Amino acid sequence: MPLLQTAEVVVRFGGIHALSGVDLDAEEGCVTGLIGPNGAGKTTTMNVISGLQSPTRGRVFLDGGDITSKSVHKRARLGLARTFQRLEVFGSLSARDNVRVAVELHRRYSRTKVDVEETTLALLERTGIAGLSDQRADTLSTGAARLTELARALATSPRLLLLDEPGSGLDSAESEAFGHLLGELAAEGLGILMVEHDMELVMQVCTRIHVLDFGVKIAEGTPAEIRGDPRVQAAYLGADDEAVPPEELEGAPAGGHQ
Amino acid sequence: MDVFIGYTIAGIAIGAVYAIAATGLVVTYTTSGVFNFAHGATGMLMAFLYWQLRVHQHWAAPAALVMVLLVAAPLYGVLTERVLIRPLDPGDTGTTMVVTIGLLVMSLGVAYTVWPVTADRTIPSFYGPYAFVRLFGNRIPYQEFITIGLAAAVAVSLRFLFFRTRIGVAMRGVVDDRPLMALNGGYPYRLNALSWAIGASLGALAGILQSGSAGGLQVLDLTFLVVNAYAAALLGRLKSLPLTFAGAMILGLAAQYLTGYVTLSGWLSNLKPVLPTFFLFAILLILRPVRLRAGAATVTNALRVPSLSRSLASGAAFLAAAALVEQFLHGGVVIGEASEGVAIGVVGLSVVLLTGYGGQISLAQYAFMGFGAWLFGKLAPGGGILGLVAVALVCAVLGAIVALPALRLTGLYLALSTLAFAELAYDLFFSQTNIMGAEDAVPRVHLPGVSLAGSKAELFFECVVFAIFAVGILAIRRGSMGRLLMATRDSSAACATLGANLTLVKLLLFAASTAIAGVGGALWGGVEREVTSLDFEYQLGLSLVLIVYIWGCCSPAGALLGGLSLSLLYPQIVPHLPSRWSQLGLILTGLGAVSLGRNPNGIIGQISDGWQRVRPRLGGRLGDPVSRWPATLPQSDGEVVGVAAAADG
Repeated sequence: MPLLQTAEVVVRFGGIHALSGVDLDAEEGCVTGLIGPNGAGKTTTMNVISGLQSPTRGRVFLDGGDITSKSVHKRARLGLARTFQRLEVFGSLSARDNVRVAVELHRRYSRTKVDVEETTLALLERTGIAGLSDQRADTLSTGAARLTELARALATSPRLLLLDEPGSGLDSAESEAFGHLLGELAAEGLGILMVEHDMELVMQVCTRIHVLDFGVKIAEGTPAEIRGDPRVQAAYLGADDEAVPPEELEGAPAGGHQ
Repeated sequence: MDVFIGYTIAGIAIGAVYAIAATGLVVTYTTSGVFNFAHGATGMLMAFLYWQLRVHQHWAAPAALVMVLLVAAPLYGVLTERVLIRPLDPGDTGTTMVVTIGLLVMSLGVAYTVWPVTADRTIPSFYGPYAFVRLFGNRIPYQEFITIGLAAAVAVSLRFLFFRTRIGVAMRGVVDDRPLMALNGGYPYRLNALSWAIGASLGALAGILQSGSAGGLQVLDLTFLVVNAYAAALLGRLKSLPLTFAGAMILGLAAQYLTGYVTLSGWLSNLKPVLPTFFLFAILLILRPVRLRAGAATVTNALRVPSLSRSLASGAAFLAAAALVEQFLHGGVVIGEASEGVAIGVVGLSVVLLTGYGGQISLAQYAFMGFGAWLFGKLAPGGGILGLVAVALVCAVLGAIVALPALRLTGLYLALSTLAFAELAYDLFFSQTNIMGAEDAVPRVHLPGVSLAGSKAELFFECVVFAIFAVGILAIRRGSMGRLLMATRDSSAACATLGANLTLVKLLLFAASTAIAGVGGALWGGVEREVTSLDFEYQLGLSLVLIVYIWGCCSPAGALLGGLSLSLLYPQIVPHLPSRWSQLGLILTGLGAVSLGRNPNGIIGQISDGWQRVRPRLGGRLGDPVSRWPATLPQSDGEVVGVAAAADG
């Protein structure tokens, strides 16, 4: 059973259909990508899964349990963590305190006896921002702030991590390092669902990708399958009669695609 | 049936006044993003101005109305927006609240000074007391028809303005995204000014109509008419004008039917004027909770928190200083006032905890102070310390009950519900001599084995209690709870996604603050030896919050200085002023609050900033970048970009 599952999620804002029946899933120990052009509904999907948005219809399951009606903080306590498309670091606090708040919260509600200082330091080192620990979060560069959000999210020992454009603001070296980190986290059993526009990062780390366009899932598959899918190409680039059929592309998987 | 129609029309007329007042409030809130607590005060000043022109200067009614509604009120609104509101960040609800409450208090002071209460003033109704229409056997005064007609005209005009005119559509647009409006050629500031002009006019109209029917111009009633209007506006969630009108009508009809059909005697007869307050709480309970939203992250510029050793050392130094100063104080009166001031300082610490650290505003701390004093007298006539503990517990539970309906909603609703609670507490409890007693005795605190007889010993004891609470709240701020509070202020959405139960956190914080306020009240009552109704008029509570803000609500020093200002400065200065200027205190308090926009950390914050700038030059450590909180600008897309102040050197 997949760690995360959404079933026919519909979100309507007045006359706008942000999501029209989205089914997707994410497995533990894997990095699953969620891509699509701007306005496709990716962040809305993240908001529905994390509880910041109630779906008009549809359900969300975490580890088989229906969490659709659970509040944001209850979902977090069940093992769901996220980062945000627009940074939501605690700007008044230092990077270290951003992470420390999360560690302290986790310690309190999970009643585990972790050493707060040790855990905080380990997380800062793991995400590579230990050198910026004492800096106030609102003075960090976007990339460093994103890593702070990541460290903060990891502090709750989640089972499912939702990342919303985590690579935005990272240069190519940082992006590659970030990709390695995600791979390590997945290898440790963490399930990751990642919204991203950086295709290199997506193709590097994701084992499975869902593609949204105008609130509808238009494709699902491995990175190679998605790369060659004409519907995905059309969604991003516009339909083009001159496009090379995927069967003629070098390296296309034998047996075609969906 | 005839009676029913009579009541209905009267109820609609009452509702019409609420509707006009509430509409003005909603227009300014939806366009500029600032909730104007001084809306009723504006109406009050304009109503008095109308009286001045109409009765005192004998202007004809139309001329006076045009002058007030179309000239004076809009001008006042535009000036208020330009001078006080424009420099503020609408996202910082705390500061906008304090500035508009400051304007309210200042208006009270101005009104009492220019139009002292020594004379009765009435506004003649528009067509004289004998002009009425016979309808179904009822005599309906022309005034009521005019009021209803005006409300209808306001509704129609605003509908037309917002949906059919370019400027109206622009006003609706500026709510959604001000910078975007500016980029697209809209003029957000002009639109703000227009909305404040309209708001002031509507407030003025409501004030004039209300005082025409209420029998006499009353400063407080008119100023706080707006609390009744809030209830109506809340039904429309401060957004929807039609729902606001509906809410106002329901309120007006309910009030009239209640008076007409139900005979309330004794204590229950006090329920009618506070019906809107019950309505307000009822609406709060049924309003859907505000959704947590990402993208609204803010930053607080907080003062540095001293370490444990530093706060203990400061506490000890404070006590040593207190002991020293006491030797030079002669005269029981001054020592008594100082004791009161320190006790009020303890209440001020509750404001520091709730507002300075937690970012929540309560306008009812004074009410809890009063409960604390009264309770202490009832629970522990001997003054035992356990009585203080009991007071703390009871006030904590009461505070939790009061706050619970509003905690699922934004901070503005909490402020409104605490203001409504303060009004309720005064009308139903403190002003009722058969419940509270004309004078209730409150004992001095009695410590076993220690003699606290003598005013100097009492003052020292108050200082010890203050120091203990101050060190305590600093410890809270320094610890995990303090970090969590800062985090919830910066981004509640992110906190929730980390597993924080925000309702519980806010509830605990509110309960802790009301407990401290109650204990402060018990101490204060012990100094006074008795408490009376007059001690707890709810507008005094506003002054308390403002004064702590002015000094600095982020630090215990601000609380102490606030308390001492209230108890020492005013009694020392006011008796020396000519009686006309006896309300100077209100004016100064209000003035201090409205100038807060510059530094929300108050006077203490400004001193601290100055010290941070000067310190490197004094040859200490050269500008440590971490010690200088940089100015930050929240950008429209929610990302916070740091504009680091350059370190000296």
